[in-house]
Amino acid sequence: MTIRHTLQTFNRLGFAIVAGVGFAVLVWSPAGAQQSQKQMVQSAKATAGERAKQGDYLRGLKAWEQNCARCHNARDPKEYSDALWKPVITHMRIRAGLTGQEARDILKFIQDSN
Amino acid sequence: MRKCNEARRTIWGSAGLAAGIALAAQPAIGADTTSMQNQIDELQREVTSLKDTVKAPDSVVHLAGYGSAGFSSRKSDSTFQVFSFSPIFHYQYKDLMLMQAELEMGYNEDGSTETVLEYASLNLIMNDHAVLVAGQFLSPIGQFRQNLHPAWINKLPSKPLGFADGGAAPLTETGVEVRGGFTPGGHGLNYALYVGNGPKLVDNAGELEVETEGNSSDANKNKTVGGRIGYLPLHNLEIGVSAAAGKANLPGEDNRNYRVYDVDFAFQPAVVELRGEYVQTKVDSLAGSAIPDEHTWKAWYVQASHKFAPSRWEAVLRYGKFTPPEKSQELKQWAAGLNYLFASNVIGKLSYEKNDGPVGSVDDENRFVAQLAYGF
Repeated sequence: MTIRHTLQTFNRLGFAIVAGVGFAVLVWSPAGAQQSQKQMVQSAKATAGERAKQGDYLRGLKAWEQNCARCHNARDPKEYSDALWKPVITHMRIRAGLTGQEARDILKFIQDSN
Repeated sequence: MRKCNEARRTIWGSAGLAAGIALAAQPAIGADTTSMQNQIDELQREVTSLKDTVKAPDSVVHLAGYGSAGFSSRKSDSTFQVFSFSPIFHYQYKDLMLMQAELEMGYNEDGSTETVLEYASLNLIMNDHAVLVAGQFLSPIGQFRQNLHPAWINKLPSKPLGFADGGAAPLTETGVEVRGGFTPGGHGLNYALYVGNGPKLVDNAGELEVETEGNSSDANKNKTVGGRIGYLPLHNLEIGVSAAAGKANLPGEDNRNYRVYDVDFAFQPAVVELRGEYVQTKVDSLAGSAIPDEHTWKAWYVQASHKFAPSRWEAVLRYGKFTPPEKSQELKQWAAGLNYLFASNVIGKLSYEKNDGPVGSVDDENRFVAQLAYGF
């Protein structure tokens, strides 16, 4: 009687543990996975946003062709070092009324063509 | 047979020895490879960091500018024009601030050196669409003054009539300005809005003049407000509209209204570049003034240019007209030029100007002008 009782107790305890773990897996794990997935999506979106804000070579080429020649002859990217192009492009951004994005794109194009 | 067995034993022995050495050495080689890989990774990180630093240090100082030398010849005189040197200083801190200043250096007619602070401003980059400019800046009214006046950009040796000193277009302003751009629907839209000290009126032997350059203090308490909006319906067409309004006064007199209107365009179809601008400055009348009449200055020009690609030659044709308050002083000019581009920023210019001004004055004489201009 005692042995049977003990076995039943263990069975119940085991069932309770298995059920508890199962419940936790069903309830907590998907939530955690969803949370993790959400974070990954947010992170990916943030990265994509930052990437979009960074200068882009092809957009820069287009902006360079369409804006710089409106007033003056195109300057050779090799005329200045990469670092010196930055204040030049900032100066031209202000002078020509370019957006910050256009300025970053043109800077990327010029530096990568240097 | 015996030799064969010996050889077999030697081969198997050597193979065993080699395998033993290889097995014994394997951990050492693995450790070396890992160490080398770590060193390569570290080196790669340092190279990337160095490249980033070289490409974008926090502070950058840069010297730009332009210079020109020339020669002009007309009926009454022929003279070499002194070298004009205009250095532009840039100091940029991160993507936050740009300080810029331009000097204009040259000689006066008496041989003395003249240095003028063309502009000097702090430019605070607020966001992708707005930059706050504080200090003295080129007037944003119209396009020639703020974008086209440097000698290496202007396609003719001379400025259009009425767009230089003493003309109809304002030159500089002291105050604050917000300027920037947007791209609504993929089209370009740029703007500049300012509030500044405005001009000073000067009585020059009975003639009213408007001084718009270097007004470091306000002659009255009223500020001048103005700006320009430029729109690009096509990527190669820009149309600009500008205006300014404020008060101005002769020393010791009451204020009178000061107004400026300007329209400009630039169009670059495939084979030709067209541009033009019209500007009008008006100062209202004032009863009891030493110079009481209303004064209006008008100037406009249109210009066409063509590059003979792939050669380095370029032809330019410009017509301009300047009408000051005294109509008898009206000036008209046809200017035809031929340029040679030694480089995109090194330009040799030769032009012939057909001038129509007050009879008997030098402004009525036609002239040849040659100029070598460099932008750096």
